[in-house]
Amino acid sequence: MTERGHDHHHPRLDSEVALRASALEALLAEKGLVAADAIDAVVELYERDVGPQNGAKVVARAWTDPAFRERLLDDGTKAIAELGFGGAEADTLVAVANTPAVHNVVVCTLCSCYPWPVLGLPPTWYKSPPYRARMVAEPRAVLREFGVELPEEVAIRVWDSSAEVRYLVVPMRPAGTDGLTEDALRALVTRDCMIGTAVPLTGAP
Amino acid sequence: MDGIHDLGGMHGFGAVVTPGGDAPYHQRWEPRVFALQVLVGVEGLGAGPGGRATREQMDPVSYLEASYYERWLWSTEQRLLRKGTIAPGEVEAMMERLAAGEPAPTPHSDPDQAARAVAWLREVVPLQPVERARFAPGQRVRVRRMRPAGHTRCPRYARGAAGVVAHVRGADSLPDHAGPGDAPVEPVYAVAFRSEELWGQGGEPAWTVMLDLWESYLEEAG
Repeated sequence: MTERGHDHHHPRLDSEVALRASALEALLAEKGLVAADAIDAVVELYERDVGPQNGAKVVARAWTDPAFRERLLDDGTKAIAELGFGGAEADTLVAVANTPAVHNVVVCTLCSCYPWPVLGLPPTWYKSPPYRARMVAEPRAVLREFGVELPEEVAIRVWDSSAEVRYLVVPMRPAGTDGLTEDALRALVTRDCMIGTAVPLTGAP
Repeated sequence: MDGIHDLGGMHGFGAVVTPGGDAPYHQRWEPRVFALQVLVGVEGLGAGPGGRATREQMDPVSYLEASYYERWLWSTEQRLLRKGTIAPGEVEAMMERLAAGEPAPTPHSDPDQAARAVAWLREVVPLQPVERARFAPGQRVRVRRMRPAGHTRCPRYARGAAGVVAHVRGADSLPDHAGPGDAPVEPVYAVAFRSEELWGQGGEPAWTVMLDLWESYLEEAG
């Protein structure tokens, strides 16, 4: 039995679903409608080129270039295009900045909308019923599960991606990182801190 | 529709952070189903409501039992069946052939199709400019009470609640209409709701929930 994440008590065998998926692909191949290399190209796009490394580049740039940060917060779609990012599921990208007073976090209660061009494909927990059910209704309890304990005076803003707008959280630059280059800063920006369920790694060794 | 997919605020699903939950997927068929759904869309092989609206039609028990990409597999099959690209029984017949050890059909190569898919995924289609907005930032609005039988992007938990317009995001086709042809294009607003308004007084210090809502979901709040 392979790891199923949140899907406990699954009544169907994994192998049956895998067989069905292979059969659908084989059927469309037999009909000459879908090419194997087209499937490979889409899979590889998100396994190789498009992932949270893109978002980390955006955030590190915003941390080091105040004018870019301003453009990013003003029009996220245009700003990420400057770095060569954009596409499906970030047609309208809004970047929301954390401050000492406000912490932003993103969810999609209705499905699993997620800014693919900057974060890639979402983690399993983001798509799971517990996250979709709870983040809008008990954000501090959910953040605590991720090990994030925010002071009471920090206002939490939960963005439920209910339309065709996608959100990218711009976390605060950690203290003690003044001497770091943009490249070194990128390594501190994890996927989860751009969703809002984590804060950046500290620059401290 | 008021289906099981509309999960905001529900109890009983347990912990968010669980072993294995960090990966986007765990098995090789999952990203291939993701890609298949993209290709079915790009190549026009499916029909009827899109993947998202189709998955909402899954029966609630199956929806919760299925893994994420299993739902995508189901919706992709439904869309292919509706268009007539595949016939009922064909997937099952292929499953039997593969299970019996028959080799999968020799895959063909189509670099143009691969290029079309990647181009589609890289294309940016922003919201349309707003010509006339009924509400302005700062204005108090209330989410209409409703119980739509078809697709909607108005979550149940927000209905009846009052909030404040924070931004006018742009204009977009109302997703509640089946075909894009007959869907009116409306302003979409980012609306801020206080947690007490949505959930009553709770155990946590107050927070804000932001939702992006089409104009017809909203009315003026007194």
